[in-house]
Amino acid sequence: MSRDERVETDGGTESPTRLENASAEVNRQFEKIRETRRRRAIGWAGLLGFILFVLIQGMSATELLGGDVRIAYFVGSLREFFPITFVFGFIPFLDVGQYLAFIRREELLYNPEIGGLLFNWPPQLYTFFFQELGIFSIFGEAGITLAMGVVGTILGFPIALMFGVLGSERVTPFPFNFIFRGTMSFIRAIPAIVWTLIFIPFAGLGPTSATLAIAFDTIGNLGRLFVDELEEIEEGSIEAMQTTGANQPQIVFFGMLSQVKTSFIAWTLYILEINVRIAVTVGVVGAGGLGLVVESQRGLLNFTNMMATLFCIFILIISVELFSQRLRSRLRSDEEVRSWRELIFGFPNRMANSMLK
Amino acid sequence: MSRIEIDGLTKRFGDTVALDDVSFEVPAGEFVIILGVSGSGKSTLLRCMSGLTTPTEGEVRIDGRPMTAPRPEVAMIFQQHNIVGDMTAYSNALSGGINRSGFLESVLQLQDKSEKQQALEALDTVGLLEEAQQKARRMSGGQQQRVGIARALVQEPNVLLADEPVASLDPGSAQDVMQYLKTASKDKGLSTFISLHQVNIARKFGERFIGLQNGKKVFDGYLDELTIDAIDEIYGDIDTEGMFITQDTDRTVADSDQEATP
Repeated sequence: MSRDERVETDGGTESPTRLENASAEVNRQFEKIRETRRRRAIGWAGLLGFILFVLIQGMSATELLGGDVRIAYFVGSLREFFPITFVFGFIPFLDVGQYLAFIRREELLYNPEIGGLLFNWPPQLYTFFFQELGIFSIFGEAGITLAMGVVGTILGFPIALMFGVLGSERVTPFPFNFIFRGTMSFIRAIPAIVWTLIFIPFAGLGPTSATLAIAFDTIGNLGRLFVDELEEIEEGSIEAMQTTGANQPQIVFFGMLSQVKTSFIAWTLYILEINVRIAVTVGVVGAGGLGLVVESQRGLLNFTNMMATLFCIFILIISVELFSQRLRSRLRSDEEVRSWRELIFGFPNRMANSMLK
Repeated sequence: MSRIEIDGLTKRFGDTVALDDVSFEVPAGEFVIILGVSGSGKSTLLRCMSGLTTPTEGEVRIDGRPMTAPRPEVAMIFQQHNIVGDMTAYSNALSGGINRSGFLESVLQLQDKSEKQQALEALDTVGLLEEAQQKARRMSGGQQQRVGIARALVQEPNVLLADEPVASLDPGSAQDVMQYLKTASKDKGLSTFISLHQVNIARKFGERFIGLQNGKKVFDGYLDELTIDAIDEIYGDIDTEGMFITQDTDRTVADSDQEATP
C-alpha cells in the first residue's frame, strides 16, 4: 500500500506524518473499526426510524393525533385542583383549609367517633379494641383501604406459601410442579381489578370483594416470588438434612425454608406495599375506601375534594412504604435487633443521621 | 460401631471417572483419614458412603447392609458446614435428631427433655455450650464447623463421615476441629472417615490412611506405613517437600499452633 492511498483512506483528516509511522496492520484494523462503527450507526438510525413509525401508528390508534386536547380547560380545572386563597388580601396561597375541611367532613384519615374511645378521658380500651374492633376504622376511609391491603396479604400468604413450595421443582417433580406454577400464572394473568369484578356476584361490590381479589392476586404474585427464591437455594443444607434421616416435610422446612425465611418475610412486606396500592385502584371501581371517594368526587366534578383525597392516598402509601422498608432493611441487616423503645425514641436521631449522609 | 466394606466402588460422571474400582475394609471404631489432591475422588468416595451419591458399580456395605440411600446411623460433616444460618447453634444441634421426631414436633421444638439435653451435651463436647443461643451465621467458620459436628453427634451415628472439614479454616481452628472430631469419635467409639489434603494434620491425628489418586486407591495402611515414599505416591509429581514432617518437627508445629490459638 502506498503512502498516498493510506492518506486517502482516512479522508485526509489525519496528519500524514502519523500515518507514516503506522504499520499496515494498524491501518487495516483502523479501517475495520471505522467500517464496524459506520454499520452500527446505520443500524441505530434504522431502529430509531422504526420506533418513530410504531409511535405514529400507535398515536393514531389512541386518538392522540388530532384528538381534542383541551389545554385551556385543563389549566382552568387546575385552579380547582389547587384552590387559591389570598393571605392578607393579596398574597396568593394554596387554600389548604378547603382540603382539610373535606378530609375532616368525610372522615378520610380519622374517624372521631372511634378515635374518641381512645382519646377521650377515660379511654374505653375494651370497647375500642374488642367491641368496635377499631384499629383500622379509627383511620376512617384510609383505614378501609389499608385493611383491604393488609387482610388480602394475610389471607393470601399461606396459600402463596403452599403454592410456592409445591411449585418448586425440588419438592414436586418436573411435570407436576407446573400444575401449581400454571395456576399461579393464570391468577397473575387477570389483574386484581378484574378479580374484583369477578367476585361481585359472590360478595357484592364492596370491600369484601376487593379484599378477596387482593388475596387472590397475592397468591399469584407472592407465590411466584417464593418459587423464584426457592430455585436459588443451596443444595448443601438439603443434603445435610437428608443425611440426618429427615423425612420429606422436615427436609423442606429445615433444608429449604430455613434458608429463605428472611427473604420470604421481606417479599411479603413488598407485596403488602403493592396490595395497599391495589386497594386504592380497586376502590375506584366502587369497592370502597379512598379509591371510591376519588371516583365519586370526580363524578361530581369536585376537583378540590378529589385532590384532597389524592393527598390522603399519598400519605397512606408513603406511610406503608416507610414502615415496610424500615422493617425490611432491619430484617436483612445483621445488626442486633433494636428494641421497640429504641425504635421510637431513637427516630429523630436516626432521621437526622440519614439526612446528613 | 460398625464394620465398613467398600467393594469394587466405581463412579463415572459422563466420561470422567471419579472413582475407579476402590475396595477396602475397615473394622469398627477406626479413625481413617482419606488423602489425595483435589479431584482425586475423596468427596465422591465419602458421598457414596453416605448414600448421597449412587455408585455406578460396586457397593458400600455398613454392617453388611448396602448403602443405597442416606441412613440415620451414618452422619456426614461437610466442608461448607451446611448448618442453618438463621437458626441458633442449639436449634442446629437439635436438628441432628430429627429422624427420631415427627414433623410438627421438630418444627415447634417439642422434643422431650432428654433429647434437648443431648443437644446441649453435644455442644459441650465441641466447646460451644456458652454460645448455644447464638445465631449460627454470626459465628466464626471454626465455630460453625463445630456446630456441624454437634449436629452429627446428636444424630447418634455409628459412622461419622467428614468431607474436608478443615479445608476452609485457619490452621488454629483446623487443629481445634480435628481434635474435637477425634475426641468425639473415641468417646462414642465411632468409625470415622475424614478426607483431608493437609498431610501434617493427617499425620498428627490419623490412625489409618487411604490414599487416592485419579480415583484409584494407591495407599492403604497405618501411621507407621505412611512414609515419604507413600506420600509421594499419593501426591504424584507435586513437590511434597515440607508436607512430610518428622516426629520432631511435628511437635514444634503443634506447639506453635497451640501458641497461635489461645
